[in-house]
Amino acid sequence: MTERARNLSAVPEPPPTDAGTLLREVAQGDEKAFTRLYDMVAPRVYGLIRRVLRDPAQTEEVTQEVMVEVWRTAARFDTSRGSATSWIFTIAHRRAVDRVRSEQSAADRVMKVGVGQVEIPHDEVVDEVTGRLERQQVRRCLDDLTGLQRQAVTLAYYQGHSYREVAELLSTSLPTIKTRMRDGLIRLRDCLGVELTA
Amino acid sequence: MITTDIHALVGAYALDAVDDLERAAFERHLRDCESCRTELDELRETAARLADSTWSVPPPRLRTSVLAAVAQTRQVPPAPAVVTPAARPARRRWLVAAAAAVVLAGGTGTAVYQVQEQRVRDKTAIAAAAARQEARTRDILAAPDLVVRTAPMIGGGKVTVAQSTARNAGVILLGADAAPAGGKVFQLWTIRGTAPTSAGALRVGQTSAVQIVDGLPGADMVGVTAEPPGGSKTPTVPLVSQVPLV
Repeated sequence: MTERARNLSAVPEPPPTDAGTLLREVAQGDEKAFTRLYDMVAPRVYGLIRRVLRDPAQTEEVTQEVMVEVWRTAARFDTSRGSATSWIFTIAHRRAVDRVRSEQSAADRVMKVGVGQVEIPHDEVVDEVTGRLERQQVRRCLDDLTGLQRQAVTLAYYQGHSYREVAELLSTSLPTIKTRMRDGLIRLRDCLGVELTA
Repeated sequence: MITTDIHALVGAYALDAVDDLERAAFERHLRDCESCRTELDELRETAARLADSTWSVPPPRLRTSVLAAVAQTRQVPPAPAVVTPAARPARRRWLVAAAAAVVLAGGTGTAVYQVQEQRVRDKTAIAAAAARQEARTRDILAAPDLVVRTAPMIGGGKVTVAQSTARNAGVILLGADAAPAGGKVFQLWTIRGTAPTSAGALRVGQTSAVQIVDGLPGADMVGVTAEPPGGSKTPTVPLVSQVPLV
């Protein structure tokens, strides 16, 4: 073969590093597995919470709560209901939304919206690229929604608004917003190829 | 909230956009409706994908603090409800993203590096080559003008091509669900106009690879074929996957 062929590198057997495997090990009390799981998901958990809360100090606090919750309740993860990452992000989103809806936080947020520093350790490059791949796909699929679907979904998910608030923000009726959230997610699901069975 | 159409809240519920009363009502509704649970699981899985676009590196002190807290925290036992974990087949579509991640992780982690030069006795040379390629891969993937394209593979899996004009190079990431049938191997090609150039062949049984290709930004397409072991001089059609670059 050519020069290039000799440079070819590969992984003979994929190492068992998917989040589901790690989470099952975490459920057995494996702290090393938890460390690996943390490294794998923390940037997205932190990023998601920060997106919703915007305040770096609160973001750190809630991220810590969420990751400890993942450790504490790992045994409750049920593979038949979805992926490990989805389970983790669901916990993270719920916590972030609970926090954002507390009045004190709302007041704090108004005062503190700003750009914090982003520290990117060198060894996170791989995650960064993986993240890029996924970001591209999510953005493409979001662009595929109608304007109202996209706004309904993103105002709720990224800013933690309830559907009543979203209806008010978009001057749209409650039933319409509920429907747009549902059919928007269905369209996203189809675009992203999300499915629970093979 | 009393309504005959509580299920209409499924989207709002999946987005955590309901209030506490509605949440409780919806959860009661779920208990009696298996198909509703399935729909919710899928929409929730979908909503969680929205977190993909929120990547941001947490401060290192947070890691220290979380790990310290975990060491002090007792875990709860599994839920009392008996779950029958029937072996589920792999969820292919989710796995393609995971496969890309595995390929990336494997391709840039020296510990799992396997180069075809492994037959060469000099392990130091191998390690040095791996380290160079790792550094090179990182450098390309970190380019500010990186463009990433993906395409599915016939037979399952995904080919991802990340290229940077600034680096005048690209990285092909292949993650297949299975090796090609009949003892064949995957071979990578870059195609300019109608002229294919081999970018390397995988070994027999090999299902994932990371390959740096110099000058990739000038190519029109990256293709993958199934070829006899060792690879072919020209691609055998049909292509297993093609990633258009223009």
